[in-house]
Amino acid sequence: MELSFPSELGYEKIAREAVAAFAHRLGCDRERVEDLKTALSEACINAIEHGNRDTPGLRVDVSCIGAGDRLEVEVHDRGLKRYESSGTVASIDLKLRGLAPRRGMGLMMIAQLADEAGFTESADGGNHFRLVVYFRKL
Amino acid sequence: MTSPNNENEPAERIIELRLPSRLGYEKVAMDTASSLARRMGFGGDRVEALRTAIAEAVTNAIEHGNEHDADMRVLVMLTARPDELVVSVADQGRKQLDQQKTTPTPKIEDSFTKRDKGGWGIWLIRELMDEVEFTTAPSGGNQVRMVIHLER
Repeated sequence: MELSFPSELGYEKIAREAVAAFAHRLGCDRERVEDLKTALSEACINAIEHGNRDTPGLRVDVSCIGAGDRLEVEVHDRGLKRYESSGTVASIDLKLRGLAPRRGMGLMMIAQLADEAGFTESADGGNHFRLVVYFRKL
Repeated sequence: MTSPNNENEPAERIIELRLPSRLGYEKVAMDTASSLARRMGFGGDRVEALRTAIAEAVTNAIEHGNEHDADMRVLVMLTARPDELVVSVADQGRKQLDQQKTTPTPKIEDSFTKRDKGGWGIWLIRELMDEVEFTTAPSGGNQVRMVIHLER
């Protein structure tokens, strides 16, 4: 399944419903679908706000591939701002106490919720973010 | 850019969804559209009408237009305007829709006696949506364009 939408905050909520319905159709259990929805929202917000710098005319593309008991989702933006790893990542505790920059919280959350997550190489200049969720057995 | 508009303003607020032609995926289109419709301010009854119409249109595209070929896609485009939601459903047209079937008047009595209980989908879509138009998609497939008005 492929989905695309304008870079305006709010559309991530529609994207997460689409991907949740897709995951549910593939047999992903309810709790895992909730994790996926949260992780996907964060990834879409990053694409809207950073990758496409809130430019409504630029689109965010989401593709979903289900294989066996896993779902792989990719979120692509146009890369107006490229993701740069800041090297060592401060702990959530330091961030919450204001002792470290707060940015990067979304990515930390995605890492906690998804089984695999991270930016992948892209040839087109945009950011490509990939996340994988395994369907937990009931 | 093909659009004359500045990219800071989208020409139109369009969500595009491409689904495999397998039954069950119509649910993805239904959930996506109802999520959008609720945020636009449509009430519960109208959202249910929209869900039913989309279910019929996407199921037709999967079963008839693309003849269940999972490699063929059903393209659903949702355009949010201030006073209406436009939904377009297109298939890849392995089987062309007979234009005479786009304005059906099925009779309930026939359904009691005939083995084939079909033929209600398009009738239902016309009953539920404010504007309905059957055309040929740019890809050559069948396309149905449905509009639901936002009454405030």
